[in-house]
Amino acid sequence: MHIMEGFLPSPWWQIWWAISLPIVIYGVYKVAKLTKKMPEIKPLLALVGAFVFVISALKLPSVTGSSSHPTGTGFSAILFGPAITSAISVIVLTFQALLLAHGGITTLGANIFSMGIVGPAIGFAIWWVFKKTRLNPSIGVFVAVTVADLMTYVTTAVQLGLAFPTDGSVFASFVTFFSIYAITQIPLAIAEGLLAVLLFSFLSKYKGSILQKLGVLKIPLTTTKNEVNSQNAV
Amino acid sequence: MSHSELYVEIDRSAYTNALSKSSPITKTFFALSALIICVSVQTFIVPVVVFIICTILILGLAKVRARLYFNLFVYPTYMLALSCIFLALFFGSGANLIEISLPWFTWSIFKSGLIMSITTFLRVEGALSCLFFLVLTTSITDLCVLLRRIHMPQVMVELSMMIYRYIFVFLEISEQMSLAQTLRLRRSGWLNRIRALSMLIGSLFIRTLDQGERTLAAMNARGYDGDIRILEDFASPKKLVLLGIVIFDVLLVILLFLTLNIGVI
Repeated sequence: MHIMEGFLPSPWWQIWWAISLPIVIYGVYKVAKLTKKMPEIKPLLALVGAFVFVISALKLPSVTGSSSHPTGTGFSAILFGPAITSAISVIVLTFQALLLAHGGITTLGANIFSMGIVGPAIGFAIWWVFKKTRLNPSIGVFVAVTVADLMTYVTTAVQLGLAFPTDGSVFASFVTFFSIYAITQIPLAIAEGLLAVLLFSFLSKYKGSILQKLGVLKIPLTTTKNEVNSQNAV
Repeated sequence: MSHSELYVEIDRSAYTNALSKSSPITKTFFALSALIICVSVQTFIVPVVVFIICTILILGLAKVRARLYFNLFVYPTYMLALSCIFLALFFGSGANLIEISLPWFTWSIFKSGLIMSITTFLRVEGALSCLFFLVLTTSITDLCVLLRRIHMPQVMVELSMMIYRYIFVFLEISEQMSLAQTLRLRRSGWLNRIRALSMLIGSLFIRTLDQGERTLAAMNARGYDGDIRILEDFASPKKLVLLGIVIFDVLLVILLFLTLNIGVI
């Protein structure tokens, strides 16, 4: 979904930058607060960043001036919440723009808005609702991550539709862009949801204490006391 | 060349090119100002000029291998070309250029759509060359130091450096584990493949996390207080070069206004 460097014409890239910036600043403030409270969380933050980097670099070409790939930010939103995810995604998207020519500096604002703000916020809201119910957390993780991924692409399609209207109609253009995305993105979103469930169960099995500390899981986990060193886990 | 190899190559080039010792402030200033001017216009001449100048600087002045530089363009250009063909065929309004009567509807290609597609193509190529100038000549460590100089919050700079390091750890461990699984016949059968992949990703996550915790413990043992200090030994920017870049930018803007009314077609 990363829109390429220079692909958005002039008023739009400035507008998306202006919208994303305040939210990112709030995210940075939250990161500073969290790391002050729990310095031991830093490796996990960085790891989630690297995870998002690697997973969203697995891309399929799409004819929409961007590409189709899993986003990874839904999982990050479940762990840390949407504000911190937006701050992480700024770093990740900048590295991708610089190291992979995947996305760009001028389109960074638009990309942060879709992948770092809208997707995670909606994913987190779904996860929050599921947490209130007594369903298996795996279902919540799956739905939240899949929807977060799809909503990211809806947002990108809106951004492209606004910048490149067909016959003066933004909506028609949005439908065109989204229907192209949908072909590749719906299977990818489901795959990402399954992967997230797997990772979540792995983390709660071997690193349950961290999830509890982050407030992701409230129920005391029976498996926590069996936490093992990764050397044995592999 | 696969992606992981490509960015190891970029990293190497950032440390070994002929401009690696010159001030990152100058390089970043040049790249970003050219990028912003290039992206802000709707005409096609400025991006072409920017592209040519950046290419000359990268190959001539920084002495980056031409093969690496053009390799970087392959994938984005391929995606961009697909997108621009799509834009040209389906977008635009106003005067028709060609009208094709198909049995069920008339498909018209608009002049404005074609113009938009060509200007977008050139704009992206110009912007990409600016970006490549920055990454091929400046290392990420230098950029992080630069971010600290402009008073980016310390925790963000620190997190950037850790994420950068972790990307390489992640890839290295996944390569090792994938090899180990192949040796243990993970590819024997469809179910085994799925199971092996899920185990690989899950344990990759936990193993990288453990490695990270050990790194943090090691850093704490060496008096880490939330600030990674690097010896900042880069040259301060030369005033003459900065002046040159400002003149170049002004010339670009003048060119932009001169060519405002020249269309592509």
